[in-house]
Order: sequence, then structure tokens, then C-alpha cells
Amino acid sequence: MSARPLYPAQEIGSLAKPRWQLLGQRGEPLDAPARTELAAADARLDFAGPLGPTRDALLDGRSREVGPDAVRDLAALFFLRYLETAGLDRVYDGEARRIEMYEYPIRQMRGFRFLGHVRSFDSKYYLKAAVTDEIRLEKPYHVDEFEFVRAHARAEPKLPITGPYTLADWSYNEHYLARQPGWKGRSARRAAQRDFVVDLARRAIRPTLAALIERGCRVIQLDEPAAGTHPDEADLVVEGFNAATDGLDAEFSMHICFSNYGDLLPALLEAKRCRQWAWEFANRDSPEHDGYAVLRTLREYGDTREIGLGVLDVHRDAVETPLQVADRIRRATHHLGDPARIWVNPDCGLRTRSLEVARAKLGAMVEGARIARAELESPRR
Amino acid sequence: MFVRTGLTGPFPRSEALVAATRDLDRGRTTPEAVEELFATAEREVLALEERLGLDTVTAGYLRWADLFRPIAETWEGFTVGPLTRWFETNTFYRQPILHAPPVRVPGAIAARLPPPLRAAPARARVLLPGPYSFAGLLDNRSGETESALVHRLGRLLGEEVRELRGLGFATFQFTEPLLVVRPPEGPRAEAVGAGYRAIHAAADGGTTIVWTFGADANPAFPVLDRLPVSVVGIDLADTELERIPEARGGPGLGLGVVDPRTTLGEDPAEVARIVRELRARRRPSVIWLGPGMPLDLLPYEPATRKVHVLAATRAALDAGGTG
Repeated sequence: MSARPLYPAQEIGSLAKPRWQLLGQRGEPLDAPARTELAAADARLDFAGPLGPTRDALLDGRSREVGPDAVRDLAALFFLRYLETAGLDRVYDGEARRIEMYEYPIRQMRGFRFLGHVRSFDSKYYLKAAVTDEIRLEKPYHVDEFEFVRAHARAEPKLPITGPYTLADWSYNEHYLARQPGWKGRSARRAAQRDFVVDLARRAIRPTLAALIERGCRVIQLDEPAAGTHPDEADLVVEGFNAATDGLDAEFSMHICFSNYGDLLPALLEAKRCRQWAWEFANRDSPEHDGYAVLRTLREYGDTREIGLGVLDVHRDAVETPLQVADRIRRATHHLGDPARIWVNPDCGLRTRSLEVARAKLGAMVEGARIARAELESPRR
Repeated sequence: MFVRTGLTGPFPRSEALVAATRDLDRGRTTPEAVEELFATAEREVLALEERLGLDTVTAGYLRWADLFRPIAETWEGFTVGPLTRWFETNTFYRQPILHAPPVRVPGAIAARLPPPLRAAPARARVLLPGPYSFAGLLDNRSGETESALVHRLGRLLGEEVRELRGLGFATFQFTEPLLVVRPPEGPRAEAVGAGYRAIHAAADGGTTIVWTFGADANPAFPVLDRLPVSVVGIDLADTELERIPEARGGPGLGLGVVDPRTTLGEDPAEVARIVRELRARRRPSVIWLGPGMPLDLLPYEPATRKVHVLAATRAALDAGGTG
């Protein structure tokens, strides 16, 4: 791998699954659009490589014969090449093997009971579990998928994993709350939540991280989308992060999105081994409002960590122009005062966008970084 | 002193209804089949409420997308905006965008109430957004100040109450988390009072309930105690019990005694003890018990268990004498 340029680009989260993957892993023969999609992707990216027989079987309508695991392998390979050819310096597999970020990790642990669905909005629901007993990790997870990525990635791999605070916040807390005496008011709930977060971190996340590091994983992003839900619990987010990474040696980052970051500071700054904040900014950036201004707060606190700078709005199909991206990077650099600490990435996973739109956005991001880099390296006199 | 019980927000959809509405989104079932399931589910929630002896019934408000949508989709002046987090939860509402002073559309809310409530309105609890929270949570591009909007929404909701009163409805709950999350002061507090005066007058002898949650209610009591409504509810899971001030007179006391943020069941005897303590401290003419926050933060079965806790608390109070 070559030396990193200024404003390197990285992936940040999941991508939409191609139709051929969805049909193929269900054992259904590919329909015409899926066959076209797969054939075109392979012609463009030449990604199948050693999995050519899997690709051929899918194109021949033999999905059932292939089996879901082989289809997921092929999809992971597709996403690696998709991201690498977009010009990213750090990649993963588009989370091709994952369908969500809560249920799978929880199912790798004992001590939880799934209770049913809760409506998130409209007719969208999520399955929710309660912690009812001591937490025990069945076995470290994401290890096999990382090993596949490590074996096939041409760029540096970066593994995303759901953080302990988010797993706790998205669960019901029975076990730890029951241990609190008396009325289960706000202070009892907070104390119970702290115990829950720290236990999750120590008993499940840390052993998983340790196993991943042992297999060669060097760059790990802990996803904490729930961090902004309860700003007064930012210290619990930190405590979970510190417990999960205690004594471990890797490049850790913390991804938080769609939150008011100012409300989480300075508590977040106590995350000891967090080397990078990967945050969403483009979503809140407009001609009337500089979405990157919050970076000044980090500067005022004297925080010198890297920033994973969200420069792509993942909620809109409109593709940012490279000049727009460059302008965002320029402003962020101005606020932060140090270009060397900036990585660029989408605000969050692009999975709600089509692969075509996502690819166009990623291309604009890489080109925008190149423009911003060129400006810095050849300043006007 | 009376103790009354009732649900304070939507009930969760059953797993069958979850599956059906998902299937509808994916084109795997028909609107008619889902409608049939909604009707069945409404009857089941209503039966649960009646079997457990709740004093008001809701039939679950299972079809409502969120608290604001029935108004935002029907009254003039609104469009429906982006998904927005519903306080400190992992659930979301679509933020109403107000482009011009709102105009109420007669009949629009009544048409969206659960059919079992329309058929038997006397014991129904009508759920509506409170004017202060509504004004504070929408995207106000109308040009009106927030205070003016609170007052205007109060008048419009009063007209709504008058219309529903004419249809036989008698209990009206206004969901007002912002009253405790961001207690109003100065002109805003005056606008809140004026808005509720309009609402309560329109209720014409009916019961008006303001239900709060989302923060400790103690800082808001100077406002809550002066609201011209029948009952003001607070969430005991968010409020420091020891600091709840003494009172005499003022509105009836609503107590959120079951907490949908946890599946852990409350102990009815302990809840009854707390209710008695607060009764002695506040001396209300009436106490209404309910969930602190809407039960749709829970899956169906745990929510059902919470309703049982509510009924058991009432029974514990009755057994111990409620005064």
C-alpha cells in the first residue's frame, strides 16, 4: 500500500445490497435485471476473480446450488472492488453479510431475550431484546468476515462494529435495573444503564475486538449512533468505549451521526484510545449554515484527534459536486486548523441510496479531496 | 377522591399487524387484508382495556403514524417534513412544516379516530397534540411568533374539542412533553394558559387532560399548577418524587406510574404506596393513573403486561382505601 495522500478517503458504513445478492442468497434464480446487474458490475470491476464459478452459477440460474454463503462472499468481493475503484484509501465489504447492526451482535451473546417489534416510524420496525441475565459472549463475531476482507482487500481494511452504548440503548434493561433498589426513577435507570454498558463492553465487545486484532485487524470503527439520543449520558458512551478498548492496540475511531455534537462535548473527549471522530456534517450544511463550524469547538478544547469528515449527505439522491466537497473540506480545514488530521467519508452508510448514486457520490468525494489537496499543495501566491 | 385509569398514548401493533403492514409495503398483501387486521387489533386492545376496567379507552390508535400526522396531513397550512427523533427514544415522527397560519378542517380528526371510539365515544380518550408542544416541535415557517402560534393552535384545538364534544366524546388528552422538557416562561406561558382556557371552555363539562413526560416535572410545576384544565399528568419515572411540591386546589393529578422504557414490571404495591404519598402531598380532587410515556415504546406482549400492572395498581389502591 502506498503512502497516504492528504485528505485520504474512507468508507463509513453499509451499502445497498445488489438485487443479484438478495435473490442469490435466498436461493432464487436471478431474474433478467439481476443478471444484467451482475454481468455489468463484473464487466466494470472485474471483481469475481477466484469466485468466478459462483458468478457463473448465478448467471446460469443455479442460485440454489451455490448457497447463500458463497453469494455473500461474492458480494463482499464486489463491494471491496466497488470501493477501491472509487478511489477510497480505507475500505470494507459494504457490510455485505450484515442486515442490520443490532440483532446480529445480540444473537452472539447469552443473557438477552428478544421480545418483539417496536415501531420506529410509519411501518418500519425493529426487533428489540431485553437483557435478562448476566451477559456472556458465545464467540467473537465479525471475525470470519474480517478474515475474508483481509485476504482480498487491496486497500487498507477498516472494520465497523456496533458499540456497547448503542447495543445497550437499543435494548431493554431488566437485569441491571432489577438490581437497583426502590423506585426505578431516572437515577436508578442511569446507574443500571452504566452497569449494562460496561458489562457489554467488557464481556462481549472487548473479547471480540481482541479476536479481531489478533487476526490482523488494525483499524476499527465503533459505531455509536445512539450516542446523541441522551446527551446527558455521553459519559456512559465514553465509559463503554474505554472498557471495550481497554488494553487493546489498534486504530480506533468512534462514528456518531445525526447528533448535536456540541451537546456531547467535552464528555466525549475522555475516550482514551479513540484516534478519530467520524461524524456527520454534510446533512446539516447549507448556504445559510456552516455545518462544519462545530469543529471549532474541538479546536477550542485542544482536541488533536483525526476527524472522519462527513462530506456526503446520505439522505439525498442529489450528487454533490467535487467543488462542493472541496469547499466543505476547505472550511473544515479552516475550523480545525490542521489538514493532516482530516479523512473524508460519507456522513454515514450510503445504503439508502442506489449503488449508482452511491458510487457517483463517492467519486465526487474522492475528486473533491483531490481538488482540496491540490489547492493546499499549490497555494496561490 | 377518585382514582381513574387509562392509556395515555398509542398501543403497540401486534406482531401479526407488524408483519401485515410490512407485507403491504412490499406489495405482498392487500390493503383490504391489512384493514381487516387493523380492525381486529383495535377490538383486541379495546377488549383488554375494558376487561381490566380502565376508565377511558383508546382502542390503541394503531393506525396513527404519529401524534401530529392526523393534523399535519389534513389541516391547511401544513406539509409533512423530515423524520425527527421523538425525544430520547429510538422512534421518530415526521416533523410538520407550517407554511402559513393553520386552518382547521372540520371533521378531519373525527374521521381519523379509531372506528371503535367513533362508534362508542362516551368513554373514549381523544389524543391530541398539546398546543405548546405542537408549536415547539413543528418547523414554523408561517411568520407567526411561537407564542402567537401556541395561542392560535389552542383556539383551533378548542374548536376541534367543541366539534368532538358534539359527537359525544368527553375526555380529551393533550400530549405536552415540551411543558416539562422546556417549561414556558413569560409570553409563552401566557399563551399556553390562553390556549388551554379556549380548550377547556370548549370541552363544556368534559374532561381535559394535559399529559407530560420527557423530563423532571418539578421545575414546571409553577406552570402546570396554573393550567386551566381538569388534570395534569407527570411521568413518575422522570420526576424526582421527593421534590414534588405540596399543593392544594389546582388541576387533578395525573401520574405516569408504568414506564414503557423498561420491560421490567413495576410492583403494584410499591406504586400504590407512592400514589398515596403524592395524594397526601398534593391533595388533588382526582387522580388519573396511566403509563408515563406511550406504551408503543414496547413490543405488544410487554405492553400488555404493563396494562395489567396499571389495573393491579388501581386494585391495590382500592384495597387499601383511596380516601
